[in-house]
Amino acid sequence: MRPLTEEETKIFFEKLSKYIGRNIVHLVDRQDEPYCFRLHRDRVYYVSEAIMRRSVSIGRDNLLSLGVCFGKFTKTLKFRLHITALDYLAQYAKYKVWVKPNGEMPFLYGNHILKAHLGRITEDTPEHQGVIIYSMSDVPLGFGVTARSTGDARKLDPTAIIVFHQADVGEFLRDEDSLT
Amino acid sequence: MDVTEQLQALKDKYKSVEVEVPVPFEFDLGNLTAFDSNGLDERRIKNETNNYLKDLARDGTQLLLNQIFALPTKSSTDGVFAELPEPTTVLPRAKPLPKPKLQTRWEKFAKAKGIQKRKKGRMVYDEQADDYKPRWGYNRANDNQDDWIIEVPDTADPMEDQYEKRRDEKKERVEKNKKQARRNLEERSAVEAGKNPKEVRKAQLEKAIVESKTSTASLGRFDKKLQNEDVVKIKRSKRKFEATTIDASKEAESAMNIAKKVLKAGDSKVINVSKAVKQVAGQASAEMLGHKGKKRKSK
Repeated sequence: MRPLTEEETKIFFEKLSKYIGRNIVHLVDRQDEPYCFRLHRDRVYYVSEAIMRRSVSIGRDNLLSLGVCFGKFTKTLKFRLHITALDYLAQYAKYKVWVKPNGEMPFLYGNHILKAHLGRITEDTPEHQGVIIYSMSDVPLGFGVTARSTGDARKLDPTAIIVFHQADVGEFLRDEDSLT
Repeated sequence: MDVTEQLQALKDKYKSVEVEVPVPFEFDLGNLTAFDSNGLDERRIKNETNNYLKDLARDGTQLLLNQIFALPTKSSTDGVFAELPEPTTVLPRAKPLPKPKLQTRWEKFAKAKGIQKRKKGRMVYDEQADDYKPRWGYNRANDNQDDWIIEVPDTADPMEDQYEKRRDEKKERVEKNKKQARRNLEERSAVEAGKNPKEVRKAQLEKAIVESKTSTASLGRFDKKLQNEDVVKIKRSKRKFEATTIDASKEAESAMNIAKKVLKAGDSKVINVSKAVKQVAGQASAEMLGHKGKKRKSK
């Protein structure tokens, strides 16, 4: 476990800002309790400072996880967000997409979101923008990247893909053993 | 009518083209220069410096021009030109003399042995073609590379391909020449940098050894050691990370700085075109509505 280097922090924040924009500031500077980002086995954890200090006493090989895993660095030093980060992403989301009830299950099985399943979308969402997916009852389901901007999406046929799937809460079941 | 008076007036307007000086000037017409070796009038130079210098310059220029006008001329479509003689004054160089090139190994050897360069003709008689051909390069004379038959020497292995042997030998010669040229260049650059070429080469080799020793998967840990092999200690900078538990406020501050940088970069990059268009359109329609509203109010 170690703090992120400057380069890693930059890459990590660049990825985060695609989903929550300026709100990354709120993750760094919290009013309630100091929180920090820690790297452990290529994974980035968001953890309160108190817990981090306690977990120092656990050896590197024995430490499985701490705090909330935001994602991991690939071997080529790119950052991949994991579904476990959804709590925070949903809280600070900049662009949102709501899916109709009949589209929830297809998305939770890892499929892209079709125009037919689109319930609502934030106005003025650009193309290739990171978005958080919600059910119609405002339960966060996952996140993805828009295939079309809001304006373009209106003209599409119902089978066209609107949002590319990146992660969904179904992974908590599907990838239970590899999520930390 | 008497024009002499008028002519005299016109003449008096300009100074005479004839200038009288005690010591005649020396001229270097090739460089368009005149040298005045007369002494200065001390009284005039003190009292009316500028005028005196101007007069001197004028007189000198007049004499120079007189000389130039006396030169033989040549007329062309662009006008009449005086033909200047060769310059006699030697001018100093603007730039320093180029440094002599460092001698190559062969040049040094040739000088020591007194070997002189001999001029060789470019074209050589080729007996087989019965014609003159270039000494070297494409289509060269006496090229033995494509003889249609080659005698196998008594001492040679009969199964050996003599053509291949010749090709290989030539390749080797070319390679050797290139190697020597490279070595000459390296030595020259080392000397020009003020270093001993031998030391430079030694340092290079030592560096190469270290590099090769650490270029295996185990960084040379499991390599077979030679007898009496020098133990080379490799110093590499270690990766350094911040301590795991640092002051939270400090860490938050540095993270915040990076976040600001990232956000600033993102701000300057992205322009949401559709949003911008909508905003402009919205403003326009708001203005129109505003106009209508005012009208109503005025009513």
